[in-house]
Amino acid sequence: MPRWGMVIDLDRCIGCEACVVACQAENNVPINTEDVYHQRRAIAWIRVERYWEGEYPNIKARYIPVPCMQCTNAPCEPVCPVYATYHTTEGINMQVYNRCIGTRYCAVNCHWHVRFFNFWEPKWPDSLKNQLNPDVTVRSRGVMEKCNFCVHRIVKAEQKAKVEKRALRTDEVTTACAQACPTNAIVFGDLDDPNSAVSKLLAQAEQEGRVYRLLEDLGTDPKVYYLKKIDVAAAAEPAATH
Amino acid sequence: MRRREFLKVAATSATGAVLFAGCGRIGDGVPETEFKIAQPVHTPNDWVYGRDAWFATAAPPDQGGYGLIVRVFEGRAKKVDGNPDFPGIAGKSDARAQALVQELYHPDRIAGPQRAASRGSGQFQQISWDSALQEVAQVLRENGGDRAVLITGRPSSSQAAIINAFRQATGIRHAILEPDEFVVLRTAMQRLFGTSMLPYPDLGNAPFLLNFSADFLHGWIAPVALARAYGEFRQGRPGKRGLYYHVGPRLSATAANADRWFPITPGTEGLVALAIANVLLTEGSIPADTFRPYLTALGIDETRLTSEFTPERAAETSGLNAEQIREIAHALVEHQPAVVIAGTSAAAATNGFFNLVACFGLNLLLSNLNQPGGLLLNPDPPLAELRVPQDAVLSERQWAELFEQVRAGSISTVLVYRANPVYSLPPAVGATDALRAAQHVVSFSPFFDETTQLADFVLPDLAWLEQWGLQVPDPGPGYATVAIQQPVVQPFVDGRAFGDVLIQLAQQLGHALPWGSQEEATKALAVQLRRLSGGSVPGANDKEFLVHLQAQGGWWSEQLRGSATTPATRITSPRGPEFIGDTSQYPSVLLPYPSHTLGYGELAHLPWLQGLPEPISTNVWQTWLEVAPRTADELGLTTEDVVRLTTPQGTVELPVYVNPAAQPGVIAIPFGQGHTAYGRYAEGRGVNPLTVVAPQTDPDTGTLAWSATRCRIEKTGRRMRLARFEGNVPAFQLEEFPIVRVMAPSA
Repeated sequence: MPRWGMVIDLDRCIGCEACVVACQAENNVPINTEDVYHQRRAIAWIRVERYWEGEYPNIKARYIPVPCMQCTNAPCEPVCPVYATYHTTEGINMQVYNRCIGTRYCAVNCHWHVRFFNFWEPKWPDSLKNQLNPDVTVRSRGVMEKCNFCVHRIVKAEQKAKVEKRALRTDEVTTACAQACPTNAIVFGDLDDPNSAVSKLLAQAEQEGRVYRLLEDLGTDPKVYYLKKIDVAAAAEPAATH
Repeated sequence: MRRREFLKVAATSATGAVLFAGCGRIGDGVPETEFKIAQPVHTPNDWVYGRDAWFATAAPPDQGGYGLIVRVFEGRAKKVDGNPDFPGIAGKSDARAQALVQELYHPDRIAGPQRAASRGSGQFQQISWDSALQEVAQVLRENGGDRAVLITGRPSSSQAAIINAFRQATGIRHAILEPDEFVVLRTAMQRLFGTSMLPYPDLGNAPFLLNFSADFLHGWIAPVALARAYGEFRQGRPGKRGLYYHVGPRLSATAANADRWFPITPGTEGLVALAIANVLLTEGSIPADTFRPYLTALGIDETRLTSEFTPERAAETSGLNAEQIREIAHALVEHQPAVVIAGTSAAAATNGFFNLVACFGLNLLLSNLNQPGGLLLNPDPPLAELRVPQDAVLSERQWAELFEQVRAGSISTVLVYRANPVYSLPPAVGATDALRAAQHVVSFSPFFDETTQLADFVLPDLAWLEQWGLQVPDPGPGYATVAIQQPVVQPFVDGRAFGDVLIQLAQQLGHALPWGSQEEATKALAVQLRRLSGGSVPGANDKEFLVHLQAQGGWWSEQLRGSATTPATRITSPRGPEFIGDTSQYPSVLLPYPSHTLGYGELAHLPWLQGLPEPISTNVWQTWLEVAPRTADELGLTTEDVVRLTTPQGTVELPVYVNPAAQPGVIAIPFGQGHTAYGRYAEGRGVNPLTVVAPQTDPDTGTLAWSATRCRIEKTGRRMRLARFEGNVPAFQLEEFPIVRVMAPSA
């Protein structure tokens, strides 16, 4: 049985946000209007955080894509009074929309802020509804939603393999963000399969000392691994010119 | 299904199952596996069964023209991705390509042919295609030939073939409106390498990249192919990591990914490049005979290079120090084969052409042309018909001349296809007045943009995903490549492909073009590819070839590669940038920059792209001014304070974003907003920077120098909320957990 995970190489990430739009398109995430941003209620199952280091002219803008960390010991799960968020046997932290009653305890307990509450019914002009992915539920007002590693793609691939009476092949399935990512910074796959791209990347990056996880010390055992961005200049920055 | 309905169904099913079980064993006669239903919480309860179809097509030319695949489910396009087989992109895409479905289903698409109630009123009435074509043909019959002009954006390669045939049949002039920076770039390529096809930096094999201002990861020429190559450049080769230095006036999202950023005064890229060449020559680190073509292209000799363009002299104007310039030069020598590119604001200065020649010319010194890890030149399209005529691409100066002819009445009819001169050209060019003065204006746009609002007739084009075509990616990956564009869905509105309309108009005028439709033209041109050597598409006959071509999404031949000619023509003398506006009145330089998603405003109608945070400021849906913290302190400004920006050209009021990476003395502003039309998502938000940019041109190319205006800002005392992503989620600083690995360049 696979154990799904993701590796994000920050040395490849350019902050282009192709992953963000690919995720919106795949998962029927509503349009983030200007109003929504003003209310700080933009929904993005994967977001690209930009943070600053240093001061001009020796300043760095760093990028870090943040999807749901898919914690093995997920702090969001035990607090749900109706078991709307649960762990699949393949290690995905799932959200059952029609079970959720919107207490938002899970969002409070998530340290990565990757759970989003639907404050309103999602709205699209009628014609834009043609684009909605039929494999993914449109979430209604009052429920939480989050990244689920494109579970519908996984289910589809597993069903296909079953029909063809074979095991799921290594790297047969990927998420929308990983598929779009132009620099190949995001890689998805089976952490338990030593031949998968994620396992190979992790093994190599471990040797280079680049692997870490966000807020790893909390002990939630996230299944999203980051590979450190490499900075060759910090030791020899140029003198300030202005 | 709602919970209550589910309970009803569950109860009924349970009762039925019991009754059914009484008649025999459940599953009698039916394979056992069919009763293994999916776990309900695992499978959405509104799961729709159906079959996906994936069609190969092509991205629009201004997005790189590469191969796409589109998921179509029950007649509806759902998702766009890169074609995994297509050279250079290997299945990758970007936000702009992903958003193509929103153009298809856009609620403000024009439903069918329209006639204006009265021009400029914004009121249109729907008419039939027959009468629209008849009326427009009548207009062209009376005012065709040299009294009409067809203005287009950069057409696809097959559209270029149809336009060319139409132009030859009718005598109507064709003018292409492209962002001025690409006009400069193509002219520079022509001068340096003898080709107007754009070059491809082979980053996947390069150990070092030196970039002068080009925003190559976020919108410049071929962002997907270059971003994919960048990923390989950084981490695609075990044990080798490419080193990237960026020289430019703004920390763009591309510059933010550099190992070193060298901030310079806008427009001094060429002087820095010459100073680098000076170091290479005086230190003898590169054979002296390799300098000849470089010096020829620049119109200087060795003595002048060594005496006038010293690092110390360049340091006076560029803002770098001489040591930094030497350091860059040494890095070029140490990390061979290095590759050098330049663009965006470097091309938009009053010395833009010189900048690009001086910077790209460094590749000649590095002897890296068509070498692995160097600058790969692309061949002309494999068929002459697929060539987009470069002489039809007009500079800002030529646009002003053209619109003067329209105002004067020598051109009476203006046809416009997927170009928006009213918005995309500075007001001083006079597009609005000219279109108002023209006797007839016909637009083929699928949206009511600013230019279409001034049309008499609108014959709406189909969406990109509804059309046939062939597209030569420019730049290609260094060899001949053609993508095929095929409709992935039936048209959603009563539009017609622009090529079809041109062919039908020509018929009405009594001219028979070689093809009966855009589809026919595409297929007729495509089968010609079969006769070329080394093609990637098998096919015993034309029909079989076409089937394979459509399935594969394109044709490519690694045997057909680009080659360079030696530069022979001298250009005007190297010079620094000039700025409009007195320093005492206008202390800062205004530096517009193309938006990473909206480009120069052509994609402002797509809500996904509007809602995508700008990578540096994380602002969305608006226009803002980026101000350095020091400038903000001096003026007592904080983010969201509204300031009055004044240039010699005009005044606008905009909110401020205090950007910690902004260069003091440089005020940056994004392109993309300021539409007065173009649908509900674009209209009425922000400002078009062209309204305050002085109509200053680069004398070598006649193109608009949009980074050559000085400005000042004053506090208004008002504040305005900026929609932005930053701060949406609280940030934590965890010093004890380093998430960046610091290592020496050689490690």
